[in-house]
Amino acid sequence: MDARSEVRNFILENFMMGRDPGELENSGSLLELGIIDSTGVLELVGFIEETYGFTVEDDELVPENLDTIDRIVDYIGRKSQK
Amino acid sequence: MLIHRYLEENVEKFPYKDALIYFSGRLTYIELEKAANRLANRLVDNGIKPGDRVGILIEPLINYAVAYFAILKAGAIAVGLNTQGTARNFKSILRDCEVSGLIVLSRLIHVLNEIYQEIPSLKYVIGDGGIEGLTAKLHSESWLDIQMSGDHKRPNVYQRPEAPAQIIYTSGTTGDPKGVTLSHKNLTANTDSIVQYLQLTHEDKVMAILPFFYSYGNSLLLTHIRVGGSIVMDTRFAYPNVVLDVMSQERVTGFSGVPSTFAILMHKSNIHNYRFEHLRYITQAGGPMTPALTEKIMKAMPHLKIYIMYGQTEASARLSYLEPEMLLKKLGSIGKAIPGVTLTVKNDQGDVCKPGEVGEIVAAGDNIMLGYWNKSAETAQVIKSDGLHTGDLAKTDEDGYLYIVSRKSDMIKSGAHRISPKEIDEILAEHEAVQESAVVGVPDEILGEALKAVIVLRQGAQATVRDLLKHCRANLPAFKVPKYIEFRESLPKTSSGKIRRHLLTEQKSE
Repeated sequence: MDARSEVRNFILENFMMGRDPGELENSGSLLELGIIDSTGVLELVGFIEETYGFTVEDDELVPENLDTIDRIVDYIGRKSQK
Repeated sequence: MLIHRYLEENVEKFPYKDALIYFSGRLTYIELEKAANRLANRLVDNGIKPGDRVGILIEPLINYAVAYFAILKAGAIAVGLNTQGTARNFKSILRDCEVSGLIVLSRLIHVLNEIYQEIPSLKYVIGDGGIEGLTAKLHSESWLDIQMSGDHKRPNVYQRPEAPAQIIYTSGTTGDPKGVTLSHKNLTANTDSIVQYLQLTHEDKVMAILPFFYSYGNSLLLTHIRVGGSIVMDTRFAYPNVVLDVMSQERVTGFSGVPSTFAILMHKSNIHNYRFEHLRYITQAGGPMTPALTEKIMKAMPHLKIYIMYGQTEASARLSYLEPEMLLKKLGSIGKAIPGVTLTVKNDQGDVCKPGEVGEIVAAGDNIMLGYWNKSAETAQVIKSDGLHTGDLAKTDEDGYLYIVSRKSDMIKSGAHRISPKEIDEILAEHEAVQESAVVGVPDEILGEALKAVIVLRQGAQATVRDLLKHCRANLPAFKVPKYIEFRESLPKTSSGKIRRHLLTEQKSE
C-alpha cells in the first residue's frame, strides 16, 4: 500500500467512523473539517513515526506538514529521503 | 445585571476597540453588538420568546460569541453544544431542553436532517455558512442574509437577572447529559469575582484556545467582554507553535489552559524560543495538574503569574484559586475560595472538618447554578440547604488552603473534557459480545487521564480490541473512544454488586 492509502486508512479508521469517507478530500483541512483535534494530531504523529521510522520534530508540528492528506504525504516523502 | 449589558456598556466606552480577533478577522465592540442585535431581532421576529432555548452548534469562531449575545438579547436561553458530538448526543441534548431555535454550522446540516423529526420543539434554524442541503421541513435562514439585511437596533426585551441565561450540558454520572442551568445573576457574580482576582482591565487580551461551549471557555469570553478587553481565538492548538506565534504577534497578556494544554506546550512545542514580553499571567483549571508540570512551567516562564484554579460547571465556572505568590509554598493546593464564594469541607455527618481531615467540598455563593434542567431529583442530590455538594473530597491545611484528595464521582477528566464512564459503558453494552464493562481513567502524560475500558465478554462470544474500538468509534465522539481496552474474566465488585472502579485504574493495559 502506498503512503497516501495508508494515511487515508488511518484517518478513516481512527477519526471518521460513522462519517462519509467522501468528506475526506486529499486537499481538505483536517482541522477545519472537524476531523482531527489537538490530541488527534498527536495520534497521527505517533502513527507516522511508527510506520515510517522517523521522528516528527517539535518545529515540524505545523499545518504546512500535517493539515491535509496531500501535505502529510509530501512531508513523509521529504523526511524519508533524508 | 444582565450578561449582555456588559457588551452594551463597553460599546459606549470602547466602540472601536477589538473585542474579538480570529485569524485575520476582527470585530470591534460596536460591530459585535450590531451583529448580535441583527440576529436577536430575527430571533424575536421568528417567534423566539423570553425563556425559550436556542442551541448554538457552531465552532468557537467569532460567530459563536455573536450568537451567544444575540440569544441573551432576545431574552432566550443559550445552549452551546460541542461540535465534536455525534448525532445521538445532539439529539439527546436538543430534546432534553426542547430547543425552539438552532444556529448550526453548514457542515453539520446533514446531521440535522437525520435527527430533526425527533426534536418536535424545533421550529427555526439559522445556517452559519448557509442552509444549502437542509431537507428538514423547518423555517430556515442563512446567517449571511440576516447580517446583510437585519435591523441592528437593540431589541427591547425585558428579562430578570434571576432568569436562566444559559444551559451548559455536562456528562451526567448516569450517562444522560445533564443541563447545568445558570442565571444571569450566577454568571455575573462569577464573572465579577474572576475579574477581581485576576485583576483584569480593558488592557487585557487573552488567547482563548478553549471552546466557548464549556464553562472555562465561556468564562474567558464573559470576563473579557466585562472589562472591555480583547479575546484572540485560535482553534489550531493541534499545532501549538502556530498558536504561540499568534500569541506573540498579538501581544496577548493572558493565556488559559487545562493540564493537557500545558503538557503539550512543555513537551511538543518550541515554547522555550519565545519571550512573550506582554504576557502577564496564565491560568490553569479543568482538573489537577501535577506539581512537576507546574514547576516546569515556572521554569520556562519565570516572569509570569500562574493562577491554579478549581471550579465546576455547576458553579458557573470558578470556586477557588491559589494566589501566584503562594504557588511554591502551597504546591498541589487549589487555594482558597474566590471572592463572593464560601467553601467548607464537611464530613459525612455534615460537620466542618478539622485541618487535615478529609471531607467533601461544599460551596455557597451567587454563582451556584439554579439546578439541572428538568431534573429536580438530580438537582436535589447536589444542591442542599448548605450549598452545592461538589462530590470532590479534599482537606485543608492549618492556613486554610484546600487540597483535593479525590473525586467522589467516577467522572473522568481527559484533556479538556469531563467524561462519564457510564456513557461509554452503555455504548459498549450495545455490542453483542459484551457482557459488562467498566471504563476508568488511567494516568496519561498529555491528557491527564486517558480512557481504559475493562471488558468481560459473554460466555462463548468473541470480539477483538479492534472490533470494540470500531463499535465505539461509530457511536461516540473521538474524545470518548477508549485509548486502551483490556479483557478480563470478571470485574471486581463490592458485596452490593457495585463495580470497584478504583481497582481497575492501577495497571495500564496493552
